[in-house]
Amino acid sequence: MQICKRNKEMKKEIRIKLKERAIALAKEPVEKDTSSANIDVIAFTLGAENYCIESVLVKEIYPLTDFTPLPGVSSYIFGIINVRGQILPVVDLKKFFNLPERGLGELNKVIILSNEQMEFGILADAVHGTQTIDLEDIRGIPPTVSGIGEEYLKGVTKESLILLDAQRLLSDEHIVVNDEVN
Amino acid sequence: MAEGKIENKMDKKDIDFQKRIQATFRIEAEEHLRAFSSGLIELEKTTPKERVAEIIETMFREIHSLKGAARSVDQKEIEAVCQPLESIFAALKRNEIVLSSASIALFYKTADWLSKQIASSVNEQTVASRKIQQDIIRQLKEVAATKVIVPAMQESSEANSEQSHSALSGPISETKQVSDLSVNSTPAQIGMVRIPISKLDPLLLQAEEMIQSKISIDQRTNELKDLCDELNEWKTEAQKWRSRRAVATVALWNEWCDTIEMHLNKLETRMTEVIRSMEHNQHNLDLLVNSHLEAMKQVLMLPVGYLVETFPGMVREISHEQNKEIDLIIRGAELEIDKRILEELKDPLIHLIRNCIDHGIGKPQERILQNKPVRGTINLAFVAKESGQVEITLSDDGKGIDRVNVLKAAIKSGILSDETAGKLEPNEVLNLIYQSGVSTSQIITDISGRGLGLTIVQEKVEKLNGKMSVESEEHKGTTFRILLPLSLATFRGILVKVEEFMFILPTINVERVIKVDQEDIKTAENHEIIRIDDQLISVVDLAEVLGLPEHKYVVPGKMEPGSAYSNQVRLAILVSGNYRIAFKVDDMVEEQQVLVKRLGKLLYRVRNISGATILGSGKVVPVLNISDLMKSAVSIKGKRSETSARELFVPKTDKILVVEDSITSRALIKNILETAGYQVTTAVDGADAFTKARTGEFDIIVSDVDMPKMNGFELTAKIRNNKKLSEIPVVLVTALESRDDREHGIEVGADAYIVKSSFDQGNLLEIIKKLI
Repeated sequence: MQICKRNKEMKKEIRIKLKERAIALAKEPVEKDTSSANIDVIAFTLGAENYCIESVLVKEIYPLTDFTPLPGVSSYIFGIINVRGQILPVVDLKKFFNLPERGLGELNKVIILSNEQMEFGILADAVHGTQTIDLEDIRGIPPTVSGIGEEYLKGVTKESLILLDAQRLLSDEHIVVNDEVN
Repeated sequence: MAEGKIENKMDKKDIDFQKRIQATFRIEAEEHLRAFSSGLIELEKTTPKERVAEIIETMFREIHSLKGAARSVDQKEIEAVCQPLESIFAALKRNEIVLSSASIALFYKTADWLSKQIASSVNEQTVASRKIQQDIIRQLKEVAATKVIVPAMQESSEANSEQSHSALSGPISETKQVSDLSVNSTPAQIGMVRIPISKLDPLLLQAEEMIQSKISIDQRTNELKDLCDELNEWKTEAQKWRSRRAVATVALWNEWCDTIEMHLNKLETRMTEVIRSMEHNQHNLDLLVNSHLEAMKQVLMLPVGYLVETFPGMVREISHEQNKEIDLIIRGAELEIDKRILEELKDPLIHLIRNCIDHGIGKPQERILQNKPVRGTINLAFVAKESGQVEITLSDDGKGIDRVNVLKAAIKSGILSDETAGKLEPNEVLNLIYQSGVSTSQIITDISGRGLGLTIVQEKVEKLNGKMSVESEEHKGTTFRILLPLSLATFRGILVKVEEFMFILPTINVERVIKVDQEDIKTAENHEIIRIDDQLISVVDLAEVLGLPEHKYVVPGKMEPGSAYSNQVRLAILVSGNYRIAFKVDDMVEEQQVLVKRLGKLLYRVRNISGATILGSGKVVPVLNISDLMKSAVSIKGKRSETSARELFVPKTDKILVVEDSITSRALIKNILETAGYQVTTAVDGADAFTKARTGEFDIIVSDVDMPKMNGFELTAKIRNNKKLSEIPVVLVTALESRDDREHGIEVGADAYIVKSSFDQGNLLEIIKKLI
């Protein structure tokens, strides 16, 4: 029953999201002409911080119900999950960025990032849906705002969401596990 | 051209084969040419230097492959044109030639001629075509001759200037056609599959059937929702009746009960209907999924012939180079094997065949002395076995493996001590050839003789869940046997549990799973061993080897509640290569068919884990990589007993003299070696090197061959003749790829010979590690 409810919620979420995307897509050409650059982002909570990430690189949001940890890999590899019969690695950004662990998060969502070269999920405590952000409203990062290395951040929005650089994460070779045994 | 192409008599089968091989060549050649032409177009447009270098590199590889392909099917005309073209690109790569618009025009002209020649099915050509060909070859050679030594980056890439267009629009009218051809494809042709339509049709049909299944399931969902809604209505109704309870008469009450019963019956009927339809849908979907999987597998099945049809040409060519006469007889070429397996098999098989030619079969005069037929024979057979496996046998009637030499080499490389060497059984000696570092070859070449090849072959075979064995009789010949699954999906695994974790062990690596008493496991020199069938084997804890979190070491006699076998231990005896180790596991759940999936691009390679599978419950379970696991187990044992690792590690203080006239190559090699922890000194030519070698102290010299003042051969000879320096190992790195040069290298006393075209740093480091 609960799963049923969750699925319903998910569907609702997806429907809303799709609608929003459709609206955004329909608007885009006009906005481009007026040269005010907007981007669509997905806002989420991870640990103590609120983040957002460009939705063009988000393939889907997947509920985290079960996962399999892998022995012997770096701690930022949270584990692997089954997404409709395919194996998807999931990264814990808190560990990857060396953020302090503050209590147990809910960790019930996986945001699947994807481009042509790479695909993996990142853990999130909660996903708050999409918003459109005016690029002009994005400010630089005050150095103390977060423990994340600046190279992975694009800035902070008016609402104090930290904008993650998804492209950078996807193309970062440090995140790839390539472990030979000697 | 067919004459001598295949050594057997030319019957109809051979003619068919020739037709097929030429057709295959055409398709391949067109691909190379298309990629080459795409490169040309991009070259005209691109200015960033890095990109230009990339394109040239790609084009060089394409033309090199085209040349190779042409050679293997005896297309001499095409080969003749590719030869100078390749030289030009090799020189372009080294920045020894400046790219001009005139040369680009010439490349277009060449591509055009090549495309026509490839398309024409005959190996002959018209007088006009021959004239063009000779023209092209002459012009290409002229360009190649403009070779100048430009030390750093190339200066000019103004190929997109007006000039080039005028040059193009002139004499070559067909250029446009070539470019049209190439617009749609990118230079990289990796990962392409060619599938006959007959195999695609069922797939399409199934995909359409799936739509039906999807619609049916949608309908079932709606039916269930309706039922749910109805139930909710009745819930509300029931509450109404509850509130009326006080005033209800018996008659009303009865009426109510009847209504309820009636509706319940209705609901039940509808429910049963939905269930029946659901079962029907499920049944259909089952069939559909199964036939879809089967059809998908069929799509990926290719006859072995596709893999081996170039082999006879290759054998002829290599044996010819070495003045040997060898026939390759292939049997079972019609057998179908999963394409992914075939692709992985190509390199190992080529390597094994090369081994047969290089080391197995001797020169005619040697063979005559041993009363053998002058012509040597290599047999390559593919036989389908029951249980969905294929056995590949590769045998030669050559010298066989000299066990004494193998033992010597193993002792020399430090794998064996003299003492243990004496105790080995003959077949155990043979197994040593898989060990990296054991080679009986006198000189190291980049192809075989480094003692790495067989290790890699064996690893590849195991990666495909196969097994490999070797038999050899001195003076009679050597036989390699490879047992492989026909398809990647027919993989069986054993599900084991360690603490709360589950893993799959590939069945092929599991000798058996046994239960033993804890007391049977003895401790010797700090690690555990057990005697099984009169053989002592090491016992390790799977949880410890994998480094599982919160790992609790197994306490002897650990009590499991309700278990009568509390002091029993489950051992999975795993075998891989030369290892045989018993791993402690907590439980063995079952053996099952396993569909192995990749871990995703992020997890490119994970230690001890080769992939994952999804159980019926949806649970994801990692599949263990046994060859890794063995290495991990050995290194843990090593750590525990604190014996010095006998692994060959790089001593940080070894000094290397790098001799190279090209500044870029010099910097590259220096960088590679320094990263590996060596101390590097460089010299710009042979004379400079000799001076430095005499005044300094070096453990090894890595030298280019082609250099001004004093070349690599002269340098090597001088070093060998110098009293102080004669013992220093010399590795020659060269652009020259001929047997004469290699032999020249041996003559002057070089220890190893690497051809630049196949240069990679792993290669170089392995060789250095071995020689120091």
